[in-house]
Amino acid sequence: MSDTQAPVLELVNLSKTYGRRGKGVAAVRDVSLTVAPGEVYGFLGPNGAGKSTTIRMALGLIAPTGGEVRLFGEDLRRNGAVLKRVGSLVDGGAFYPFLSGRRNLEVVARTHGGAADAGRIEALLDQVGLARDAKRKVKGYSTGMRQRLGVAAALLHDPDIVILDEPVNGLDVAGIQEMRALIRGLAADQGKTVFLSSHLLHEVQQVCDRVAIISKGEIVREARIADLLRQEAGLRVEAAPLDVAEAALAARWKVERSGEALVVAATREEAPEVARRLIGAGADLFALAAEQRNLEEVFLSITQPETDHA
Amino acid sequence: MLDALAAERLKLTRHKATWFLVWLYPILFLVAYLIAVAVAAAHAGAPSKPTGAAEWIAETAIIWKLPDQTIGRLLIGAYVAVVFAGEYGWNTWKLIVPHRSRASLLLAKVGMIVLLFLATFLLTAVISLVFTWIEGAVRGRAVPDGVTAAAILDAHGRAALAGLAPFLFTLASVGLAAILTRSTIAALVIGVVVAILEKLFVQLGPYLAPYATSLVWSLYHALPGYHLVNLAAWVTEGAAHRTPFPDGRIVALDWTTSLAVAAAWTLGLAAAAFAAFRRQDIN
Repeated sequence: MSDTQAPVLELVNLSKTYGRRGKGVAAVRDVSLTVAPGEVYGFLGPNGAGKSTTIRMALGLIAPTGGEVRLFGEDLRRNGAVLKRVGSLVDGGAFYPFLSGRRNLEVVARTHGGAADAGRIEALLDQVGLARDAKRKVKGYSTGMRQRLGVAAALLHDPDIVILDEPVNGLDVAGIQEMRALIRGLAADQGKTVFLSSHLLHEVQQVCDRVAIISKGEIVREARIADLLRQEAGLRVEAAPLDVAEAALAARWKVERSGEALVVAATREEAPEVARRLIGAGADLFALAAEQRNLEEVFLSITQPETDHA
Repeated sequence: MLDALAAERLKLTRHKATWFLVWLYPILFLVAYLIAVAVAAAHAGAPSKPTGAAEWIAETAIIWKLPDQTIGRLLIGAYVAVVFAGEYGWNTWKLIVPHRSRASLLLAKVGMIVLLFLATFLLTAVISLVFTWIEGAVRGRAVPDGVTAAAILDAHGRAALAGLAPFLFTLASVGLAAILTRSTIAALVIGVVVAILEKLFVQLGPYLAPYATSLVWSLYHALPGYHLVNLAAWVTEGAAHRTPFPDGRIVALDWTTSLAVAAAWTLGLAAAAFAAFRRQDIN
């Protein structure tokens, strides 16, 4: 990612409220984020957090009630044609069930403009592993096959940015690995920008450069994954009596019990201070070590803080 | 735009309901004419009533009258409902909306519906012409004097023009209903209700007049029903459709007034459909 390059996608104070203004339900509130060229950007959030609504607004499917979507520097409301440079997979690959996979891609190609390049369609069907099933009607496809066809449709017109809503939904383990390789390849080999939402945090951690975490319609954290994990890392403390140790540390940091140990939301640099507080409180300190969290733990601590703290 | 039309053609010609609702007419006519020819062959040599040129040609142009009939409006409405509301049912607007402006997507649907119905009605008209001639030949009847290519073209052209206004009105009204309700069934039901009420009001309006003279008189002039009938009358008969009211007044308007009212309704409904779709959230 280079800071000198103009962003591919910018969401600026994007909001969506359903129902009457003033009395409506806010699905998305003041979401702002920026995706740079060549970046693989993850969009995380629990169910109902506003991920899909945000993605639909970015694709011009839902009209925002506030804020704006900028693609390649252009305001989407003023220049809808900029979506020609965007490939998308929404809702697990919605296709015409009475058409074959190949015909569906032809429809997409024609709708986009220009003749359906048979060679390109065949290559993409092969790439997503649907070459053998290309002539079958989509109504006979499994969820995973529709998902893969959706990826082929998203890439059909060689877009500059690919927006994928839950791209690994319905895929088996092998399919997930292939999708992971495909997404990595899009950015690394083809220089494309990828914006994806997923509830599979492990996948996001392996594929994405940066993530935004959305909860209850608002962005609660945006960071590079490495930075996020570092920020959210803690210290594992083994001390006795545990109640005394917990009381001594809870006054300054967020503390969670983990079996017979405590996990303290403190940085590595704060370890001496942790030790001093424990000893000062009269607790015996047996072990103090950095606790590395994975993205799932970080995600849960950010989106469900009250549960974590309990 | 040609690409968008080609995309619509790919969809509409491969879906069972949309295929059937378009090619139903030539198939039905072909079957009916084959039966008529078989019956004629069975009674070959029996005396038959001679027909005049105008009657002979009118029989071959009957398909063009379909859009002005209630059953025709229902069949065309069913097709339009599937074409527009089908995208909601299949959940496919989100597949195509990011690729092209919403207005051009609707225009492509309108264009392909018009082209397909033109094709199927033309084919049906050709079948009617050919089999009317065959049936006559089987019965031993000569083609009446006065049946010329020019006369056939003139009669078919007028009949097609007469059917155009109700066809476009049905397209606009059911299209709007499909976009607003996002449901094929709901759009079809609304199309059926509108077609029946509109036809009924043209017939029953004068009988309702004694109960609310001014209101019925105004509605008769303002609603599209009479004007669609009147336009067809002007095109095919060269005179206004006359509806006498119980108080002695007669509704018989010139064709420009009816054209203006019918166009205002059709364009208004079409504009409402485009505006509604342009602002609609595709969830």
